[in-house]
Amino acid sequence: MVKITVNGREIDADPKKPLIAACHGHDVDVPHYCYHPGLSTVGSCRMCQVEVQQGQTPGRVMVACRTYPAEGMVVNTESEKSHATRRECLEFLLKNHPLDCPICDKAGECDLQDFTYQEGQSTGRSKEPRRPLEKRHSLGDVIVLDQERCILCSRCVRFFEEVPKKAQLTVSSLGSRSVISSFADRPLTGNYQGNIADLCPVGALTLKKFRFQARVWNLVKQASTCPECSRGCSIQVEVLRGGDVKRFRPRENQAVNGWWMCDTGRFSFAHVNAPNRLANALVRGEQGLVERSIEDGIAAVRALLDAQPQALLVASPFCTVEEGQAILALAKRRGTTPLFVAPGPNGLKDDLLHTGDPCPNRRGLADLGFQPIESKELAKQLAASKAAVLFGERVVELAGQAALAALPASVSLAVFDCHAPDAAACTVAIGVPTWVERSGTYVNVDGHKGPISAVKAAPAGVRALARHLAALDVRVEAARS
Amino acid sequence: MVIVKRKELSLLERLYVPEIARGLSITFRKMFEKKITRQYPEEPLPKTEVTRGQPRLVVKDDGNIACVSCGLCEAACPAYAITIDGGETDRPIEREPKRFDIDMLRCILCGFCEEACPKDAIFMSDELELADYSREMLVYDMEKLKRPAAAMRKRIEYVHKINDRWRSAPRPPMLADQHGAHGHAPSASTAGSHASSPTAAAQKPHAG
Amino acid sequence: MNDIAAKLGMTGDQLEGLLAILVRNTVILIGVINVAAVMTLVERKVSAWMQYRHGPNRVGPWGLLQPLADGVKFIFKEVVIPYGANKPLYLLAPAMAAVPAMMTIAVIPFANDVVLFGKNWGPLAIADIDVGILYLLAIGSMSVYGVILAGWASNSKYSLLGGLRASAQMISYELSMILAILAVVALAGSINLKEIAALQASTGNPLDWFFFKQPLACFLLLVASFAETNRHPFDFAECEPELVAGFNTEYSAMKWAIFFIGEYSAMAVMSALSVVLFWGGWSVPFMPDAPWYLGFAAFLAKVSVYLFLFVWVRWTLPRFRFDQLMRIGWKVMLPLALLNLLATGAMLALFGPPGAP
Repeated sequence: MVKITVNGREIDADPKKPLIAACHGHDVDVPHYCYHPGLSTVGSCRMCQVEVQQGQTPGRVMVACRTYPAEGMVVNTESEKSHATRRECLEFLLKNHPLDCPICDKAGECDLQDFTYQEGQSTGRSKEPRRPLEKRHSLGDVIVLDQERCILCSRCVRFFEEVPKKAQLTVSSLGSRSVISSFADRPLTGNYQGNIADLCPVGALTLKKFRFQARVWNLVKQASTCPECSRGCSIQVEVLRGGDVKRFRPRENQAVNGWWMCDTGRFSFAHVNAPNRLANALVRGEQGLVERSIEDGIAAVRALLDAQPQALLVASPFCTVEEGQAILALAKRRGTTPLFVAPGPNGLKDDLLHTGDPCPNRRGLADLGFQPIESKELAKQLAASKAAVLFGERVVELAGQAALAALPASVSLAVFDCHAPDAAACTVAIGVPTWVERSGTYVNVDGHKGPISAVKAAPAGVRALARHLAALDVRVEAARS
Repeated sequence: MVIVKRKELSLLERLYVPEIARGLSITFRKMFEKKITRQYPEEPLPKTEVTRGQPRLVVKDDGNIACVSCGLCEAACPAYAITIDGGETDRPIEREPKRFDIDMLRCILCGFCEEACPKDAIFMSDELELADYSREMLVYDMEKLKRPAAAMRKRIEYVHKINDRWRSAPRPPMLADQHGAHGHAPSASTAGSHASSPTAAAQKPHAG
Repeated sequence: MNDIAAKLGMTGDQLEGLLAILVRNTVILIGVINVAAVMTLVERKVSAWMQYRHGPNRVGPWGLLQPLADGVKFIFKEVVIPYGANKPLYLLAPAMAAVPAMMTIAVIPFANDVVLFGKNWGPLAIADIDVGILYLLAIGSMSVYGVILAGWASNSKYSLLGGLRASAQMISYELSMILAILAVVALAGSINLKEIAALQASTGNPLDWFFFKQPLACFLLLVASFAETNRHPFDFAECEPELVAGFNTEYSAMKWAIFFIGEYSAMAVMSALSVVLFWGGWSVPFMPDAPWYLGFAAFLAKVSVYLFLFVWVRWTLPRFRFDQLMRIGWKVMLPLALLNLLATGAMLALFGPPGAP
């Protein structure tokens, strides 16, 4: 550690990390485009120039991402000189940047916008037309490249070289005709392409699935944890006007995922945006499953549990630790061991983030004392049993819709899920919220706790699983009456 | 403190009756003067380009809507009257509104949307009447809001004129203040470098 | 006609007289009520004109059907009786305010003897009684009860204050009014309104009108009648800025309208009284032998001028303060009326009654 002075404040800086990291670590904002803490530094954008004075030499303007702190360094990020230099660099970056902001999806979270506003280069002096380039250059199934908007920071190029360690992009052509392109124009591959859209400081790389879907300031953003695999990447869930989830984006968490997330998780909002959610309760009568009040549904589940002391209690691996505790309490009262559906590896495992295990809370439930059970084994046990209660979102999907449908009608199934199973054995189905509609904790494969949080309200008539479990507890019911 | 001196009243004024007679004569004369009431539905209000009526969307001369659904009017709207959903198009301008609703019951006709619009797509028309049979019918969708540019030409030219007045002026000192907040005051030379147009340069001596 | 009369056990003349009374009384009463309706329109029209406006002009041509529309509205509106109101008194009060005004119309002679179908049907008045002025003052004073009751029964502080003010004001001004009228009575030597009118109409000379003998009394009566009818500049019973709407704050629909019928009827009566006492009643200038219908027209014209004066004053003058009202009533009006009466008495004592040789 060395002592340096930044804007008159003495701070401790790590001499192995660039000056810009020390500044950012101490709440000193230094504009930057090409620098990213997760990537190597190239110093190509020249936006992070600050005035550095060392020893007896007069202050010089240097790029903070390629300068390393040294003892006694005096840094001024707000000096007239550094502002003027940054403004001039910015003017050149903006020389060929189209005035696309009203159309551009990045508007609102765009570094170019923010720093332009901050540095005050509001009018250009250039009289020449901007260079025309390709506006809609597809880079595979995930990414669209707008070559005009690109400021050639090369973050995306470095990302593929350094994170998935498989270079796919490069800066081709020369001078003002330089563009980002993939090798031989091949579409991008891999499970981590989406990250370059987050990395891009401007709107050059956009996600095909998010393109023109929403203005970013209209999105309600909430920190959460990705449930797509047992890695439990820290993410941010973004919802448009309390309705559909529009985007999952990684959130920096050095202990789990760094700055990245895989595309499987990034685009896994089909489940949370699914229509026709199960609200209230469905109870099997003579006309099949009929919609009833939740109280009637709970009464039916309780009747089932009372009639069948050996009923299996099966949790979904999407149950949070808190929900797991509530299910465990119910199992303990009944003297049984709860199970949780644990499908085998789904083949998506890679050596970066994805664990290939589709159970986000496997570790959390196992630590509580739940028995993991394979889907096929579960189907066998269900067929052998007389009754079972399935708890949690996506439990039907993971246990296998077909397997449940194949169960003989002699088995009574009570299901708490977002959608009712199409199975003759199902006697009761009660709706529960998805993981973007409730709060709780997942424990990932390494034992890190990750919060999930309610970003939007559950559909009307849907109550939390914990509330259903409390209602199932006869003692609570008795105390209430 | 202000001391108001009461006027000394003459005897006639103190008698009150002559003053009453004077007052009566005034009101009697006024009875026959020209009425200033405007008989509204028959005599509509004069509409000029300054009239700030309900917002309307411009359809350009090539038949396409000028709006790119950037959402700035939605963000500027103080009454949260505007809702926009965007979508992709094949036109050179890649984005257009799939849904553009203005809740006319919420709209306060402030004109912020017009001011915020970077694409000259929304203007305050001279349409003022607003009546319907249900609340739902007063949430205007894109089809109800579209107007050909020709119909709003006067207003568009007026707004352009107003905006040009701002453009030709020297850069306001707002950004200089921002830098001041960071402990840095720009010198006269850097501030001068932003005065881009010749008119601004010509105005400088006056400003100084 | 005689056959029908015989069947009813009376003579033809009796039946004719009875029918005449029925027709006459009905016409007069309906006429007075309609004055109220017309006056609402006049009030709004005149006030509008004085303020450069058009006034009501949407219902019927020039807004002429506005009173009808208002009437329909009043009938269909809900009568709201406030919580805690004294219900019988609350319902009685509008009637108490309107009925005296209608009753007093009985003694107003609208025209000289009516000659129709070659027959003299007597003067155009419901009751040609000798104590006309006494009756009129006695019944007229009762209208204050309506206002007080309304104020009391509404269970509202605004109403109560309005009622209190109205009572104080009416009692104060009644005194001056009576004294002013007494001067005319002394001059005429009669309290029969028809005789007073006839006295002024006999020669056809407008200078015979008592206004030219008693201008001060005429003025005092005018001012007092503003106060008596609760009109501007003395409308303290309503006084919107201070008391919301005074005694009728809690009234709605037809109940509220009846107060206004009462107010306008009272205005009509006071106007008619003033015309009879000071402006020669049915006298047509320079036509001592004018037929009765001309006299009736002249009477109506004079009353109209008076009614217009009421409206005109209302939309010209600001409201007095209550202390000013009392001061004027007791310290200006009353001494002036007394002095006027004394002077009249002295003149009569010195020079004898007018017209006497």
